[in-house]
Amino acid sequence: MPYIYINIILAFVISLIGTLIYRSHLISSLLCLEGMILSLFTLNALLSLNINFTLSTIVPLILLVFAACEAAVGLALLIIISNTYGLDYVQNLNLLQC
Amino acid sequence: TLTLTSLIILTLPIITTLLQNNKTNCFLYITKTAVTYAFAISLIPTLLFIQSNQEAYISNWHWMTIHTLKLSMSFKLDFFSLTFMPIALFITWSIMEFSLWYMHSDPHINRFFKYLLLFLITMLILVSANNLLQLFMGWEGVGIMSFLLISWWHGRTDANTAALQAMLYNRIGDMGFIMMMAWFTIHLNSWEFQQIFLTNPKNTTLPLLGLLLASAGKSAQFGLHPWLPSAMEGPTPVSALLHSSTMVMAGVFTLIRFYPLMENNLTIQTSTLCLGAITTLFTAICALTQNDIKKIIALSTSSQLGLMMVTIGINQPHLAFIHMCTHAFFKAMLFLSSGSIIHNLNNEQDIRKMGGLYKTMPITSTAIIIGSLALTGMPFLTGFYSKDPIIETANMSYINTWALLITLIAMSMTASYSTRIIFFALLGQPRYPSLTQINENNPYLINPIKRLILGSIFMGFLISMNTIPHTTPQMTMPPHLKFMALAVTLLGFTVATELNNMTHNLMFKQPSRMHTFSTMLGYYPTITHRILPYLSLTMSQNLATTIMDSIWLEKMIPKNLTTMQKTAASLVSNQKGLMKPYFLSFLLSITLGLLIAL
Repeated sequence: MPYIYINIILAFVISLIGTLIYRSHLISSLLCLEGMILSLFTLNALLSLNINFTLSTIVPLILLVFAACEAAVGLALLIIISNTYGLDYVQNLNLLQC
Repeated sequence: TLTLTSLIILTLPIITTLLQNNKTNCFLYITKTAVTYAFAISLIPTLLFIQSNQEAYISNWHWMTIHTLKLSMSFKLDFFSLTFMPIALFITWSIMEFSLWYMHSDPHINRFFKYLLLFLITMLILVSANNLLQLFMGWEGVGIMSFLLISWWHGRTDANTAALQAMLYNRIGDMGFIMMMAWFTIHLNSWEFQQIFLTNPKNTTLPLLGLLLASAGKSAQFGLHPWLPSAMEGPTPVSALLHSSTMVMAGVFTLIRFYPLMENNLTIQTSTLCLGAITTLFTAICALTQNDIKKIIALSTSSQLGLMMVTIGINQPHLAFIHMCTHAFFKAMLFLSSGSIIHNLNNEQDIRKMGGLYKTMPITSTAIIIGSLALTGMPFLTGFYSKDPIIETANMSYINTWALLITLIAMSMTASYSTRIIFFALLGQPRYPSLTQINENNPYLINPIKRLILGSIFMGFLISMNTIPHTTPQMTMPPHLKFMALAVTLLGFTVATELNNMTHNLMFKQPSRMHTFSTMLGYYPTITHRILPYLSLTMSQNLATTIMDSIWLEKMIPKNLTTMQKTAASLVSNQKGLMKPYFLSFLLSITLGLLIAL
């Protein structure tokens, strides 16, 4: 497989590890989530250009749209947590309040 | 000659309005003398008519023809209009002279006189109209002038709301009038009275219902009555002119005009009878416990109007007309004397704060006593010649007994509240502050009242002697029925005097239910004036705010979703919120899976 795909998939894997392993701030997880989406977007764009499959050039655009919504939802969750606790430390999320 | 004289009558006041010299002081006197001369001239056709019994119709200017409907300006000079015009002019003359005294300190007195004159002109147009269009013009004209005159002191909120009330209730009546006009155009292709009466259609219930609605609105019958007591916010000359003698007569007058059609329609007669009977009883009950002297007299007017409706309902339009003419005299006089009392006591209108005026204001107290006696039908004063025949005919006709009974009860109540006015205003010790400025020596005050006293005493006799009866009155009846009117009135007088003397120094701890019913005007204005705005406002609130904003946009999807999810999550899950171990285990399982697959 061409080298460039391996490069981008490696970027994706690194971001994935970053999402799943983080110390205390929730926002670092969200940041790595953005990185995952960015690498996926680049992969999709390059793939549809190199295989000359023009019908799939719309896929990166759709991905972008959903990524934006998802980022907004993540930030909203962050803000709610920050409203209750003042910081976004993950240790704070042990109280279930409903 | 008849034609010329009656046209001159109508144009004399108009010329005065056109001169428009508002700045000069003599505008008032010019107006008053114009009305005086108009009165004198209007007596000429009336006397000619009395002598010859010859009716006249003047139709002069052809305005337009819409398809087949010919509209022209035509005047009808028959018994009704020829008798009513001099009476209206006489009363307006007296009231204008009175308002020279009453409104003396008003800076806009010229405008007041102009409005009174405009009112008079529109009333005369209404009375002498021969076709419905001209009558409608006069009808609307008196409505507008009533609005302008009630809100004369327009800085006062109550006056503005009262004027608006008058306008709205009149408008509801106007819908009936327009329906009647539309029916006549569709079915009879004309708005002229002659054509309507000649063709004599057989199914006249619908237009006559419209006419009844219009008269109920204009003449303050039950259901459309609250505007008349509220209209007392206007100055006393306005109350005297509009709301006692002339404008509220417009409704009854139009009903009387249509008597050939109403003779044949029993349904309308019965409904007129019942409506009039309910009105007269209801307003008499309300008048019993009012404390404002003008409101008592206004409700008394409403009660007498109900009596006139009852008379039309028993198919005696001529008796109703005679009662209308005589009622104008003593009611205007009652209003003028109440205006004299109010001004002399420094604008005090509450009868609980008057008293002892019997000695200090002799002419006014004479006027009130004579007016009240004439109102209740004291034998051989004016009211007797109109009220007694009404009660006799009602007793002897084939009518609804309940309507008859409540009319009789209302008659005794008439005596009661008149006694109440006399007792509180004239007798006893004074209850007003002691620094008084009671002065009745102004000729502008005394002369109108004197003229109206003479009118109240003699007019009944004169009118009934000079008119040819159109229906034969009942001559023979059992004595207990003959004396019924007198007995009922005397009962009312004695009961009221006794009660007033006994309870004069007592006080309510808490008014009884019947008393509050009567003082709050039967709760009718309170209920109806609040219910319509309340309903429309709640409906709009429901539509706009509740349905759209709160339910659809806010509660239906977002809030419901959150509550559903939260309850489900809190019920079902037993998580502890440990994020990092969860993520680490996820990573570990992915790596193990990849390693095993590869």
